[in-house]
Amino acid sequence: MAVFHDEVEIEDFEYDEETETYSYPCPCGDRFLITREDLENGEDVATCPSCSLILRVIYDQVGAKRA
Amino acid sequence: MEPQLFAWGANSYGQLGLGHKEDVLVPQALKDVSCKCQDIVSIAGGGGHSAVITGMGQLFVCGHNKDGQLGLNHTEDVLCFSLCTALSGFCVKQVACGWDFTIVLVGSGLVLSCGSNSFGQLGLPQISGPCLIPQKIESLKEKVVSVAAGLRHALAATDSGLVLQWGTGMASRAKRASQGKALPLFLTAKEPCEVTGLEDVKVRTVAAGSYHSVSLTDEGHLYVWGSNKHGQLVSRDIFLTEPKKVDTQCFSHEKVGAVWSGWTHLVAQTEAGKVFTWGRVDYGQLGRNAVVPGGQQSTASEQCLELLCNTPVSVPCLNGASQIACGSEHNLAIVGGQCFSWGWNEHGMCGDGTETNVRVPKPVTALGCAKQILIGCGAGHSMALCETPH
Repeated sequence: MAVFHDEVEIEDFEYDEETETYSYPCPCGDRFLITREDLENGEDVATCPSCSLILRVIYDQVGAKRA
Repeated sequence: MEPQLFAWGANSYGQLGLGHKEDVLVPQALKDVSCKCQDIVSIAGGGGHSAVITGMGQLFVCGHNKDGQLGLNHTEDVLCFSLCTALSGFCVKQVACGWDFTIVLVGSGLVLSCGSNSFGQLGLPQISGPCLIPQKIESLKEKVVSVAAGLRHALAATDSGLVLQWGTGMASRAKRASQGKALPLFLTAKEPCEVTGLEDVKVRTVAAGSYHSVSLTDEGHLYVWGSNKHGQLVSRDIFLTEPKKVDTQCFSHEKVGAVWSGWTHLVAQTEAGKVFTWGRVDYGQLGRNAVVPGGQQSTASEQCLELLCNTPVSVPCLNGASQIACGSEHNLAIVGGQCFSWGWNEHGMCGDGTETNVRVPKPVTALGCAKQILIGCGAGHSMALCETPH
């Protein structure tokens, strides 16, 4: 089982309308990213492009689809 | 002897000031600092940016600038330290770099801020978007003596010992933890709001973690509030909505003289010089892998360490440290004129040439025999000013 750096509620992510991507601070200075499409597909792991660290996103999949 | 500034660790935005964006696993001397290194009196770092202050009160900045956190009136990343000219009329005393914003304390006790304002972390509710040049926080009426910046909130301590907090970073966690109960205003304010529960004490300095706040009083007592997810508040509650005093018994009944905070761990030094760590432990942040209360070495199981992480424990090899700095999940200390590092090391922020976490403080040997005089950390990067022979 993967070890998550943290588990974070989707409401604590920042959302970029242009890229339809949610982001959250990574301790390396970069950001954990997950797209809206990923969430809609049931994906719940946000990754950092600069790091091995990963986050589990806590969200309600039904709500994500509606949004 | 000529002082030189060294930097190492994560460098995604040029925060090392080395002119490029490659991570650096071993300390490298900066060639272009824009100011004389001998003039540097303070080094600080944020999520992806860095700042140094000179004795003349000038602020030099580099790194991530997407939200204008460098205060240079543009949003391009800056790869070498550059003078923040917007502050030329001020004598900068202290700078606190948050995740994507910067809080600047100037000589007269005024506070200015720049960068992202998405969570009200600039203390400027009249400004809706980011702020590319430092703006005065007019609502701070009293002279400020200490500032701190977390991921999405900031703190100021005033001359009379009050603490003000702004930025809504902790609000969602507080709401979930308090299950509908009313929250103190300072947890949800977008402009400086007095932290209640500290009326009977006089606070001298403040520190901030990702979602917690720390105050050190003139009597050497620590007060903490916010998220306790990793035991960083020495409490059983998951969230503290009001300041709680950390029992002096935790520090062998010694007064605390200084405190620093990583994102989810804390470091405190007593006036007698002992250094205590507590909070998140999984990357070696506490520098005490095999030390249990009482000081003896042990092969404690990980489960045992988990239980101990919410209790301050002395790290004897850091006794008498003259300086300490915390990154997000790593730390630097100067002990006996030598720079030590420990904690998370995936980007080389511990400076030992590897990416293996450092669980017990060890000297940054690449700095050689140079006398290490000043240190500073950003989230995932490290900086040191050293006196090296010609």
